[in-house]
Amino acid sequence: MGVIKKLPVYLEHFPGGGIVATSLDYVLSQSQASSIWYLLFGTACCAIELMATGASRYDFDRFGMIFRASPRQADLIIAAGTITKKMAPRLRLLYDQMAQPRYVIAMGGCTVKGGPFYYDSYAVEKGIDHIVPVDVYIPGCPPRPESLLEGCLTLQKKIKKQKIGDWS
Amino acid sequence: MDKAALTKYILDKFAGKVELLETGKVEPVFKLENEFLLEFCKSINSDETLHIDFLCNIAGVDTGERFEVVYSVASVKNKIRFDFKVVMAYENAEVESVQSIWPGANWHEREVWELYGINIRNHGNLTRFLLPDNWDQGYPMRKNWDAPDFVRMPES
Ligand code: SF4
Repeated sequence: MGVIKKLPVYLEHFPGGGIVATSLDYVLSQSQASSIWYLLFGTACCAIELMATGASRYDFDRFGMIFRASPRQADLIIAAGTITKKMAPRLRLLYDQMAQPRYVIAMGGCTVKGGPFYYDSYAVEKGIDHIVPVDVYIPGCPPRPESLLEGCLTLQKKIKKQKIGDWS
Repeated sequence: MDKAALTKYILDKFAGKVELLETGKVEPVFKLENEFLLEFCKSINSDETLHIDFLCNIAGVDTGERFEVVYSVASVKNKIRFDFKVVMAYENAEVESVQSIWPGANWHEREVWELYGINIRNHGNLTRFLLPDNWDQGYPMRKNWDAPDFVRMPES
């Protein structure tokens, strides 16, 4: 990825290179935003809403989103459901195995802040931002599929604004 | 066997060693001495009339003053159900493992050990089960347990 990341810098040296670099940014971010493949990561009830979003009524596919059961080809992880302290290292491992650039959506109260298990619970992680960086938070218990779609649109907007140089 | 007959049978058979607790539950609940636990379990398991072949559950309890370990048992063949419990002080709380009678006790006992810190004698594999392997914050089901990120429900 080093070369791609430095491409705009190389191009700047040529006359008109700036335009090429900007167009390249545009093409890449558009295509990236329109073909998000997400990693299946559902641990509790929110995952049911996630499944509903993927099914025919809400039809995730129209965003070009299909799920992958492997972190290697996924660029988004939707953490849907309660993340316990025992589960947290697995989430981190999957995140680390994903190719960059990668994004995280925290779906549901549990994932965002511990949800109904915030009080009196020793086992539930109080927010997955302790474990992985989160791009979009979706509140609700559980959030409706519409909320998840809205969250995905928000993420798409975010991706479209990105430049190649921002890739980390 | 109905509740009255079952209660009478057990109280007669283990006279002086087992005591009936008035709980108002549908099934009788007995209390017994810690030392008598294994012998009692063996006996109800091998007794023809009772034939307790199924250990439903083992639960730890922290009452705020002492620990209890509650055993729920049943006989599939005779359609009997009852509970019994052992009570112990906070210090050096431990019970004998009942795995030799009901092997299914293994996981339940690990849970009791892990969440309440009640030691299980002769368990053989007392390793973490519900909590992360590197857990070092004590026993979360104890009444006085606390951890940096533990939030108690505010009094309403
Ligand atoms: S936020 Fe609510 S619906 Fe979602 S996993 Fe937690 S408890 Fe279940």
